[in-house]
Amino acid sequence: MKQEERQTIRSLPSGVPGLDGVLGGGLPEYSFNLIAGGPGSGKTTLAHQIMFANATVERPALYFTVLGEPTLKMLRYQQQFSYFDPELAGSSIEFINLSAEVMERDLGEVLQRITSEIERAKPGIVVVDSFRTIAGQHDGSGNGQASNIDQFVQRLALHLTTWEITSFLLGEYAEEEQRSPVFTVADGILWLTQATDRNSVVRKLQVVKTRGRAPMPGLHTFRITDDGLQVFPRIPPQTLKRTPRKRERQPTGVPGLDEMIGGGIITGDAVLLTGPAGSGKSTVATQFIVAGLSQGETGVIAVFEEYPEEYIARASARNPDIAQMVKAGKLEIIYLRPLDLSVDEALFSILEAVDRLGAKRVVIDSLSGFEVALAPTFREDFRESLYRLVGTLTATGVTVFMTAEVSEAFREARFTSENVSFITDEIIVQRYVEIEGGLGRVMAVIKMRGSEHSHEFRRYEVTPKGVVVGDTLKEYDGLITGVPTLRAKPGRTKRRN
Amino acid sequence: MSKADPGKAIRSRDHPTPSQIARRLISLQRSEHAGADTPARAAAAACDHLYRELSRWVGRDGCHALFARALSEAQTDDSALEGIHLRPGSDPYVDGAAETIMAYGDAATAEGLESMLVRLVELLGRLIGDDMAVKLIEQSLAPSHGSDGAADKREEA
Repeated sequence: MKQEERQTIRSLPSGVPGLDGVLGGGLPEYSFNLIAGGPGSGKTTLAHQIMFANATVERPALYFTVLGEPTLKMLRYQQQFSYFDPELAGSSIEFINLSAEVMERDLGEVLQRITSEIERAKPGIVVVDSFRTIAGQHDGSGNGQASNIDQFVQRLALHLTTWEITSFLLGEYAEEEQRSPVFTVADGILWLTQATDRNSVVRKLQVVKTRGRAPMPGLHTFRITDDGLQVFPRIPPQTLKRTPRKRERQPTGVPGLDEMIGGGIITGDAVLLTGPAGSGKSTVATQFIVAGLSQGETGVIAVFEEYPEEYIARASARNPDIAQMVKAGKLEIIYLRPLDLSVDEALFSILEAVDRLGAKRVVIDSLSGFEVALAPTFREDFRESLYRLVGTLTATGVTVFMTAEVSEAFREARFTSENVSFITDEIIVQRYVEIEGGLGRVMAVIKMRGSEHSHEFRRYEVTPKGVVVGDTLKEYDGLITGVPTLRAKPGRTKRRN
Repeated sequence: MSKADPGKAIRSRDHPTPSQIARRLISLQRSEHAGADTPARAAAAACDHLYRELSRWVGRDGCHALFARALSEAQTDDSALEGIHLRPGSDPYVDGAAETIMAYGDAATAEGLESMLVRLVELLGRLIGDDMAVKLIEQSLAPSHGSDGAADKREEA
């Protein structure tokens, strides 16, 4: 069939940030959907959000409540969310309680009540919360009523579709219950889960099925805030519209470093700076951002180990304009909630800030802190998640500068956090070395895709104005060990520490 | 809460007071139903009507729980209400109105039932907010979705 001959299925907005993309463009109009999940997984909140996003005076929404959460309580709690509009609740949204029909009468009468309310109100959206309660009250349980449920679901679906209604049945179902007839009849199935891993709780959403659409596969994390659900898609839309790269050079703002990397960082690259604690990684990262700001660019810094105020206060000591840049909207410092974060949520926040500011430079300080901030379940696949994060960010054309702490034992050469080095285009390492009885710092570039770079260890100092790269330590051997020896001159063999 | 001003607690600049809402409910019954020809009968019919309409939203049990508390509170201040009983699922819902009228007179019964309605509106406001409470009740004032023969049944009784 030709494209123009096909029946177009309009999409309704879900009202849930991030969900329309996961659904493949929104909720198919007139679809019969199941929202399934355990207690507290967010089914009712999701249904309300959808309802408030779509109800109009002309096409109102009917919200059928059955047993379970009393309507009064539901109204009380749902009002706490920002999407709850009392104006709509009084005019375009009607709550109808079916508990008497469900408890005292048969499925035929339940269906008849729903049907008559639909015919009276002519709604565009219908929610039945909880459908599972209806099915539970009239299940097979030896009474030969299983076929009644099948018929009820079939008739309800037909009726709702015939009246051009987009509908949502809510139910507490377990994975093994997917043979229930409602799963077969439903055009779309949204599955919400809430998994506990050690002390953290992670919410995930999966589009198990959506007829006539290609949803985004996989499990997508979501969070419930005062604004309701927010979904963080695994594949943000920015990934799909890759910005062509220009391979221009961006100054790092660190005297001497640009020279080591062939004139600056290549625009759109992912740079990893690793080093032990106190080696000046954050200082270099801030210098990189400030260098961009001084050129009129905008930037984003994602911090995990300290609050933005603390970060600004510390950075201001070397870069007094930082606070002013934040106020002026040139720089945004994002603090991401620690301990139950998902990589996709972090990515969403960063991308949002990048879009908002039109940022050219992004700093993630640090990957070590980021990893700790993640819920344990996401730490397990940190590498893959980070691959997606970096890929998405660089697809937008921004240069990503990441820091990572590596534990350093003298006499052990460990250049990078090898878990993540493969995702980067450029790797710069910092090390402590013992020189002349003191602790010195050296820096080297060990990877730079598509560009010449220095292969030397260069000494550097952390000065009141920032990191300054100095000379090479040509007279020493064994810098890589952290305990170098002064190269022997003719007639001398003394080792210098 | 004093009997003199039961609606004071949830009065706001934008909403009618619970007392105003209660009076409106009663006067509507009086103007629309032949059976609600006295203040007390109209008040009882208003309770029946509100019970029926609110039940659509919050369920029969939920609605009865609201009315039961409102009656209990109103009874502590008004001895005329001691013979009033609520019959969930029955029509009329408010039972004993005729006997109370005979024992205490129409005016005292009307005042007691109005007091119960006021307390119900207040309670609803505390639970779901004034905005939602007013909206739910306003919806109940709209043309009924089902039969509304309680007032007439009262007259027949």
